Amino acid sequence: MLRRLLSVAAACLMMLALVSTAQAGTSDNVKDLLNYLTTDEVNDLQGRIEGIGASRGLDVVIVITDDIGSKSPTAYADDYFDYNGYGIGSDRSGLLLLVSMGTRDVVISTSGKAISIFTDSRLDDILDEVSSYLSDGEYYKACLEFLEQVDYYATLGAPGGSGSGSGSYLSRAASIAKSPVVYVIAAVIALIATLAVSSASRGTASITNRTYEESGSFELILSRDDYLRETTSRVKINSSSGAASGGSKGSSVHRSSSGRTHGGRSRKF
Amino acid sequence: MSSVKQYKCLNCNAGLKFDPPSQLWKCEYCFGEFTKEQLDSIQKVDEQLDQEMPDLESYHCNNCGAELITDGTTSATFCLYCKSPTVIKARFTGRFKPKYLIPFKLTKKQAEELYKNWIRKKLLAPSAFKQKEEIEKITGVYAPFWLFDCKVKAHIGGEATRVRTWTQGNYRITQTQYYRVARAGRIEYDKIPVDASKKLDDGLMQLVEPYNYQDLTDFSMQYMSGFMAEKYDVESKDAQAVMQSRVEGYAEQRLRGTIQGYTSTTISHKQVDFEEITDSYAMLPIYLLVNKHKDKNHTFIINGQTGKVVGETPLSRGKQLAFAGCVFAAVWFLIVFGGALFA
Repeated sequence: MLRRLLSVAAACLMMLALVSTAQAGTSDNVKDLLNYLTTDEVNDLQGRIEGIGASRGLDVVIVITDDIGSKSPTAYADDYFDYNGYGIGSDRSGLLLLVSMGTRDVVISTSGKAISIFTDSRLDDILDEVSSYLSDGEYYKACLEFLEQVDYYATLGAPGGSGSGSGSYLSRAASIAKSPVVYVIAAVIALIATLAVSSASRGTASITNRTYEESGSFELILSRDDYLRETTSRVKINSSSGAASGGSKGSSVHRSSSGRTHGGRSRKF
Repeated sequence: MSSVKQYKCLNCNAGLKFDPPSQLWKCEYCFGEFTKEQLDSIQKVDEQLDQEMPDLESYHCNNCGAELITDGTTSATFCLYCKSPTVIKARFTGRFKPKYLIPFKLTKKQAEELYKNWIRKKLLAPSAFKQKEEIEKITGVYAPFWLFDCKVKAHIGGEATRVRTWTQGNYRITQTQYYRVARAGRIEYDKIPVDASKKLDDGLMQLVEPYNYQDLTDFSMQYMSGFMAEKYDVESKDAQAVMQSRVEGYAEQRLRGTIQGYTSTTISHKQVDFEEITDSYAMLPIYLLVNKHKDKNHTFIINGQTGKVVGETPLSRGKQLAFAGCVFAAVWFLIVFGGALFA
């Protein structure tokens, strides 16, 4: 009886193990360690991820786990990406979505050119959507939403001309070209240059205040500089200005334990 | 004593012209060349200009007897009929006797070349104007100038600031020190030229400066032979006002230059007192070119000594627009594609 029970239990365990390895085996980029997703859902997500990899050059990873050890969710996400060899190209471009059920954190870690495409504000927008699905327990929808948003922003490229790889030089130029400031500056310079050249068309004066001065005749007979008063003003230096900390255009970065640079944002759900 | 003077070749009696490159008088017929001394030796008597001769209604060419076409200020010209260089002596006598002169250094040919090169470089001038072939009308003119020597005492005063900024902890500290500054000085100015002809544009005449006074010599009518000349029709006292406002500017700038070490200087009062002013009448060489463009006369002046060219270059609206467009495109291109490199 006990042996039968044990063998059934062993069989169940083996089945489970098989199922989980089977799942793990079918997807390289969707690591659902808690089996929140069905095999079909995992396959669908993996297909989409491969599509993004091929068209956008970004390696996307989704990890759902409840065991992140003693690491912070962000560090876990960074290390998972780094130590499992994810990332496309020499700069190992890609993103990792970590759903940490134990701490109820959702983290997006970016790497390579994804850092500049996925600015803090964009990541916050993605996390807004993803975390609302996660709060409702809609894991598959959360993952789908994540992939859609990744695909959308990857199409847009980096905002404000902060680049993302080969074709993006033109897109950076295009985004600068859209700024009206460029046209204003060019128009002002063109106007000044034209006025200058027009007025110089008469010829330019070549006499100075010294031309007709009898050399050696200048005699300074009074030279007084009297101190009157002074004013002092103190202005607090805005320490956040200039640093890459979550402005609408910036991507804040940090270093992972492997020494690589990552961008990313996280929040509770 | 004739009121019209023609300098004749000592060999063949043809009209003599002053030749700028050799600084000699040349005969175009027998190629004779004569120095000033040679001319002086036989024509000394005619150079007595101190006594004013009455200005006549009309003058006649000594050579052919034709009436000379002149207006009230023409003092040297050519006979319209026999082309003889003619100097109207009466207009160089008495108060119209110039004290100094700078002889022409450049020939008409050189002046034409200088003008051609200059106008070619004017980006915004209409192409049709640049290619105008009427530049042989260029004429060498001795223009009347008042040369002023003066001594001034100038005083300026105002406020200057010295700004220092530094960082202390999280604060940027800006300290502004205010000073009352005063400067006074004596300056002597030598031969400031002021255009003494109403016909010539004062602005252009000032742009064509400076002349190199090393070539300044005592006036002699012989130099006028072969050129046009004008006598002054701006009185010395009127020209003096022009000179004074120029000198006030020079003196102020000169004193301002001695206020150093400040971030900003604001001059609130200035005073320039003229202590001594002397004027002298001089003839300075210019080449004059008047070109018509769309029914408007455009005057160009070439300094007959230094070759500096100035003038009322016509501007082509189309070229101005095209130029502005090119600059706009270049700046746009630079910002967009240069900026994208560093973005």
